[in-house]
Amino acid sequence: MATKKKLLCLILAVLFVLTAFPFGALAEEETVSMDDYKLVTESDTYKLYLYEPTMSIKLENKETGVILESTLSDEKDNGKNNSVWTGYMKSGIVLQFIKGTNNTYQADLLNNANTLNYTYKPNGFSCDIFFTKEMFGLTVNVTLERDELIVTVPDSSIREEGENTYISTVSLFPFMGYTHMGDTPGYMFIPDGNGALIYLDDKEGRFTTGFSQLIYGRDDGFTDTSTPSYLWDEYDTVIRSNNVLAPIFGIAHTEEKIGFLGIVESGDKRASIEAQPNGAMVDYNRCFAKFVLRDVYVQPLNQSNSGTVQMVENDRGHDDLTVRYCLLSGDDANYVGMAVKYRSYLLASGAIQKKDTTYKTRVDFLGTDREPFLVSTTAVVMTTVDQIKEIYTDLRMGGVPSLLTVYKGWQKGGYYALPINSFDADGAIGGTNNLAKLIEEEELNDFTVYLYNDALRINGTTNKFTMNAVKKVNKRTLMETPVKQVYDLFYYQMPNRTDSTLKNFLQSYTKKGVRNLALAGITNTLFSYSSKGSFYTRKNTADIYENTVNATSANTNLVLEQPFAYLWRYTDGFLDMPVGSSDYMFVNEEVPFLSIVLKGVIPMYSAYVNFEANKTEFFLQLVESGVYPSFYVTHENSSKLIYTNSSDLYSTEYKTYRDTIVEYDRALRLVQNAVDGATIVNHEKLDNGVTRVTYSNGVRVYVNYSEKDVSIDGYTVEALSYKVGEAQ
Amino acid sequence: MTRKRKITFLSALFAIILLCTALSPLISHAETPYKTYTLSGYGDVQETQTAYLAYETIVKFGDEAMKRPSDIYVTDDNEIYVADTGNGRIVVGNLQGDLIRIIDDPVLKSPRGVFVTENNKHVYVADRDAEAVFEFDHEGKLLNKYGKPTSPLYGDNLSFMPIKIVVNEAGVMFIICESNTNGIVEISPTEGGTFLGYFGTNFASADIRTIIYRVIMTEEQRAKMVSNIPSTPDNLAIDERGLIYTVTRGDEYKTLKRLNIAGINMIDRARYATIPAAVTAGNHENVYVADQNGYVYEYNNEGDLLYVFGGKDDGSQRIGLSTMVAAIDADPQDRLYLLDTDKAQIQVYTPTEFTNLLHRALYLYSKGMYTESKEPLEKVLQMNSMFDYANRAMGRAYFQEENYEMALQYARLAKDLDGYSDAYWEIRNQWLKRNITLMIILIAVIAVVWIVLSKLDKKRGIFNGVRKFWAKITGNRLMGNIKYARYYMMHPIDGSYGISREGHASWAASSILLAIFTIEFLVYKYLCGFLQKTVREGRYEVLSDIGMIAVVIFAVTVCNYLVCTINDGEGTPKKIYTYFCYSLMPYILLTPICFILSHVLTKNEQFLITLTQILMYGWTGILVIMGIKEVNNYTPKETIKIILLTLFTILIMALLVFIIYILWAQVFEFISAIFGEVVYRLGY
Repeated sequence: MATKKKLLCLILAVLFVLTAFPFGALAEEETVSMDDYKLVTESDTYKLYLYEPTMSIKLENKETGVILESTLSDEKDNGKNNSVWTGYMKSGIVLQFIKGTNNTYQADLLNNANTLNYTYKPNGFSCDIFFTKEMFGLTVNVTLERDELIVTVPDSSIREEGENTYISTVSLFPFMGYTHMGDTPGYMFIPDGNGALIYLDDKEGRFTTGFSQLIYGRDDGFTDTSTPSYLWDEYDTVIRSNNVLAPIFGIAHTEEKIGFLGIVESGDKRASIEAQPNGAMVDYNRCFAKFVLRDVYVQPLNQSNSGTVQMVENDRGHDDLTVRYCLLSGDDANYVGMAVKYRSYLLASGAIQKKDTTYKTRVDFLGTDREPFLVSTTAVVMTTVDQIKEIYTDLRMGGVPSLLTVYKGWQKGGYYALPINSFDADGAIGGTNNLAKLIEEEELNDFTVYLYNDALRINGTTNKFTMNAVKKVNKRTLMETPVKQVYDLFYYQMPNRTDSTLKNFLQSYTKKGVRNLALAGITNTLFSYSSKGSFYTRKNTADIYENTVNATSANTNLVLEQPFAYLWRYTDGFLDMPVGSSDYMFVNEEVPFLSIVLKGVIPMYSAYVNFEANKTEFFLQLVESGVYPSFYVTHENSSKLIYTNSSDLYSTEYKTYRDTIVEYDRALRLVQNAVDGATIVNHEKLDNGVTRVTYSNGVRVYVNYSEKDVSIDGYTVEALSYKVGEAQ
Repeated sequence: MTRKRKITFLSALFAIILLCTALSPLISHAETPYKTYTLSGYGDVQETQTAYLAYETIVKFGDEAMKRPSDIYVTDDNEIYVADTGNGRIVVGNLQGDLIRIIDDPVLKSPRGVFVTENNKHVYVADRDAEAVFEFDHEGKLLNKYGKPTSPLYGDNLSFMPIKIVVNEAGVMFIICESNTNGIVEISPTEGGTFLGYFGTNFASADIRTIIYRVIMTEEQRAKMVSNIPSTPDNLAIDERGLIYTVTRGDEYKTLKRLNIAGINMIDRARYATIPAAVTAGNHENVYVADQNGYVYEYNNEGDLLYVFGGKDDGSQRIGLSTMVAAIDADPQDRLYLLDTDKAQIQVYTPTEFTNLLHRALYLYSKGMYTESKEPLEKVLQMNSMFDYANRAMGRAYFQEENYEMALQYARLAKDLDGYSDAYWEIRNQWLKRNITLMIILIAVIAVVWIVLSKLDKKRGIFNGVRKFWAKITGNRLMGNIKYARYYMMHPIDGSYGISREGHASWAASSILLAIFTIEFLVYKYLCGFLQKTVREGRYEVLSDIGMIAVVIFAVTVCNYLVCTINDGEGTPKKIYTYFCYSLMPYILLTPICFILSHVLTKNEQFLITLTQILMYGWTGILVIMGIKEVNNYTPKETIKIILLTLFTILIMALLVFIIYILWAQVFEFISAIFGEVVYRLGY
């Protein structure tokens, strides 16, 4: 009897166990729905919901009821993905970590054992995450302020307790605003060039990767391991893609009228913008910022670099990781809304200030460069101070009332005599006093001359000592080796050294009463480096450069060459503003995003018109984007430069460009005077090939890119031409 | 369920609409992700204005995507025919991405090549797997099938695997067949296909090494060698005049060939595509060659490289860069179509304003309208004053206009030796014509003055003072020895005696002569006439020149001395150094003549300089040999032995220096490696 009972018990137990399994499985497959989300907080315009187990949030627009999701919802899960990707897509935070020397793994809230401790606050929540197996963790703070969601990971909360396990990257809400295939119309905005859009349409698997670029350009402190293909094994025919100048990204669902602009507020010095269209690994479009904490680098062990080891950076970058999502709805849920939002954000935070934006054509001059002669080099003089005066007089006769000039190659020893330690002009162009006099005199005529100074580079051919040169993370000297005829080696100055060199220069500069300076190099380069056994991150570099530029701007009228966003507040003019993009295949449309942000706040000057192959279209783009034209001219014929490092300047003679300059000045001055001081409030690409730009003073500018005349708003815009409307 | 279906349907519809808008030609991008290069007169690569803009990317026609496409043909009315190999069909579409029709006759297995005749729009398809060429009419109806030729001349054992095809106006087919190394198969359409023969056969190249190997190797070894068979052309094209162009991989500077009816090669190129994939003829007697890696080359009809642009996509997916190019074609508007097998897409490029100007100039120039061609050329040069081809054409145009000064200037800019020489001849001729009387008068005056002065001197000795002064400065030992070098030059045997026995050996005098030699060498090298110049203008490597002369003279002196001492020679280092330096005298005296000649002679008269130089070097050589023989007191046989031994010693010495250098480099490397390791371990 007892045995029977035991047997029965056993059978029951077995049955129980057997049934328990499918039950368990079912429980796991149970879908998460909106009901599982709890309301955390609400602002005037949005409600914030949270699903705790995966730290998934949803934002509901109170007016329209439209919901913005931060992770892949179960309804939209097409079930085609493996567990790693499912974890990636459904987790509110995704980390990558390095274990051992060079193995990178993913850590997410679905696949990796973790503990989550939530603390709720009036306007958001805080989640303390710890991965129990990998032994690292961090705290994510989420705050909703009106229509802005701020997600931040304090630097102090990041802890790594596992042995040989390091956090490599952190992605916060990588699926924020995602869409599936072509289901939801809209686009992703990427900060490539002036701005570019990737449509949220079905890409039919044509793209295996999307946009992935480090904010503020690539890090030269790490050795580039890619092997590019060269023409005849020697010539690099591919032009580098544009640097990401501002830490922004965005998604707009144009039909649902919701979207956001993401601003990477901190941690931006070492983060990348990722915009992956469907087909790139999974069927979803997503756009987000990925923070890099640590990377792997190659350490050579001998001079010939034949022996190398892979190393993990010793220390991680120390900076809070913050993304501010500015939520957009209604008519603002588009790229213009994003740009306007970004402008008001920058103005409010003091990151840009209103500067004098009066129209000026930019005409740059090249002073001298060097060509080989006997045992040394000799000056090739292209434009002297007196010749500049002549050219100015000639341009005034042609009707050009004001001008901005950046004078390059003015310093003793020519364009590539770097670094510039003091205000010492080359005798061949007329000497220091003459130059100072020119700047002073022409200032009165509203012809402003800025002296060009690349504060980053050291000419390695003329400066044999490398003690002031930047060493890469692997302690090897950072070198630039362009394929050039005279000088083919350049180093970067140590950031501290740049600061002191520039100070010295400024002293001798301002002593002569000269205050106009065009700064380059340090304005658009960021790198990690090592010095005397310590490692410095891009944030360190950026901080030093920002201080330097700040101090410089206090004593000078400063214009910066293609500056990164954190330097915008210091510049009186933005040189070399790109008007196009890098021509990625996955980009569907180029938009003048940065122009919309900065127009009417900081004057922007284009890249040189000389080297543009399609001048008509470039001119129209200038009209559209409100960017002022730039020319690079020399008094002498450019064929004189054939044996110098500047041999790539194949067309610069003033004679050739005189009429073009006068014509551009006349036409664009008329357009820009009509909108002077106003900002762009709307920018529309209409179906008939016309772009309509609306300014805050009511003036509308129409640009017709089509080859037919078009009638619009009562105006007729000729083919490949433009029209400035009356103020409304 | 129905609702869901509706949604999917709607979303699909929307996707299609979006796609169509995305496919409509974008406004051409003002910026391109690639650079454009051209060549300078020295063959240097130089960046230039963008020649072609990436205009559009066609990924599908209508809804029809391509799969491993391998050939493309664009007709004069802009219909695009694609050999869609992976799908076994021919797809016809247009620039807007619209599908016009599909030719998917079941006979097609893997179409590799496609060609369309312009007169009757017949479509010829080379199908490798079907082992045949098919001829369709415009609508895709099969007209003819041409299989393996039955003629014994074709080769019985050869299979017929056509991969590329072009057809001339008479309907004669030129077919490239896989693994057929005999050349291009030429088939006439008569009687269902008559084999006409092989055409444009490539020749197997045999370098000296292979020839030597063949001589010394055994039968077995020879059999094991990679067989040296000629390479099959990779692709071909035909132009309006019926000339066939071929590209062949690995044929280096003979990569691109233009063959006339007789099959004779007419151009070969210096800067060639490394992995040529395709070739097509342009509308201005120009030729385009596409490299598999995405580079596009444009040549003019003389085979000068005008541009090279494009590049390989490293995965960043930028418009205008390619992964694997299979075919290229140009349409009447000069747009270029590049077919990428890997990406299964067609990249369309459109010429810029700059290229259109150049094409116009090319056309006018080739038609002999030189004056007219100057206008577009001037504009081209305004946009790029270093554009070499334009400079040369400009020079030639000025020459035709008889403006020789300008022609000379442009020819020099373009490094066009022939043009320079022709223009210079004209200028010199004009100068001579203008000044001939003046010159005769001048010569007469000089002669008269000379006669009068010498008579006066004879009678009154008016130059005695000068003569005394001359005697005084040349009277000392040093000057005497320098003067003796001239004597040595004229009487080497007697002179050698003087060096060895009469104390005419001198360190100082020899060194002065060596210095004069060096200066003359440098002056001649860097400042001689343009036509004689061996170094590029603006290039000076004076230090290394001086160093080289010093090393050579040091090496010959030391080695010759070492060899002579152990071979009973009588020469001391001083004497040996002296005869080497004195032997340079012919060079010192004749170079100034060459220098002057180089500035006044044209290319046709260059032989005068060459002759002088042969005399100069020959004389110097004889002096060196005589010096060695006489000073050391050797027999002729011994002299030869000594010269050979000296050369051998120099070789050994060079080797020694090299070995020591290598060893030191190793030591340095080792030390720095230890240092690097320490630095790395310490974390510094």
